[in-house]
Amino acid sequence: MDLAVITTLAQASDAGSKAGKAVALGIGGGLGAAGAGVGIGYIFGKVIESVTRQPEMRDEITSIQWLGFALTEACVFYGLVAGLLAFFL
Amino acid sequence: MSTKVKLLIGFGVYILGCIVIVIATGWHRTANTEFHPQNEFKLDTWFSIGPLDFTKATMYVLIAGILTVATMVYVAKRMQQRPNRVQAGVEMLYTLMRDNITRGNMDDKMALKWFPFIGALFLFIWFSNLIGYIPLPTGTENEFHVFGLAIPAFSLYAATANLSIPLALALVVWVSYNVEGIRAHGFIGYLKSLVPAGVHGPLLLLIFPLELFSNVMRLMSLSVRLFANILAGHLIILFMAGALAVLLGIAALGWITVPAGIALFLFEVGLVATLQAFIFATLTAIYLGGAVSQEGH
Repeated sequence: MDLAVITTLAQASDAGSKAGKAVALGIGGGLGAAGAGVGIGYIFGKVIESVTRQPEMRDEITSIQWLGFALTEACVFYGLVAGLLAFFL
Repeated sequence: MSTKVKLLIGFGVYILGCIVIVIATGWHRTANTEFHPQNEFKLDTWFSIGPLDFTKATMYVLIAGILTVATMVYVAKRMQQRPNRVQAGVEMLYTLMRDNITRGNMDDKMALKWFPFIGALFLFIWFSNLIGYIPLPTGTENEFHVFGLAIPAFSLYAATANLSIPLALALVVWVSYNVEGIRAHGFIGYLKSLVPAGVHGPLLLLIFPLELFSNVMRLMSLSVRLFANILAGHLIILFMAGALAVLLGIAALGWITVPAGIALFLFEVGLVATLQAFIFATLTAIYLGGAVSQEGH
């Protein structure tokens, strides 16, 4: 049995796991941001629409808008935290 | 000189700086082995009192707690008929906490009871987010020397950028709204009120575990939302303000990314710090109000 093969394989799988970790962080941060970006754009678009329709509701809409914005924005960070966990564990 | 000209000059200086620095230092990577970005968030024990370890997170919690109490007591002690600017600001905060956050989500009798808790939660999170953006000499990992004195590197850290603080706050919120719901409906009644109105028969078997699970998941979403927002903000400021240049070993990046760092810093201080405190307090009020209200949600 040639032990060198095992060493090479171990090194290859080590590099593979490193690449996998980098991919996890990239997808966790990148794709998560894409989804939440759509969501945030949708929220602000709808807010502009509603305020132009009913300007007297502006204050009420603004407070709901920030709630929706923060809830959507948080989704990026679930992906990012999952990516960081995969990267560092 | 008009604003437009100033902006143009600033932009020109920035571009010129990019070109000069790239020409002077070149664009080649050198491997980084000394700087570990994850150590920026590592908690070194400074000293221990009995079983309690004192770390920089402990320091930030203490500062935030003391600041919250001290500023509010100070402003409340010297209230005047004609408010000065600070008092007007605090009164605006007070109105936001009382009317928008608390009264908007529960009935008046309950709001009277829970307003101090929600207000304190909001102020504590707000203060600890904000002091997190002041560079303090807490980076004991790296030290620099001034006149023979070893001073720890100035670094950004916040108590809320550590999962344990938001988790502790979220646990308090979670226990209190569940207890309040059980007190209002009784244990069985509270479990029944978790299920949306109009669900009967075998569908309950599917809906009830889901609702129970989503109730428990609130604990995670509440804590991770705050923690990850602040942590990601600090990380991206760190990277834009120079860590990227050190990690990749390209000196010119240090100059190129600085405007993005400043913009992100202003965004984090101006919006995210306040918004996250607001969201945490609002969701607390919504959960408390929802647990007590009669109809299933």
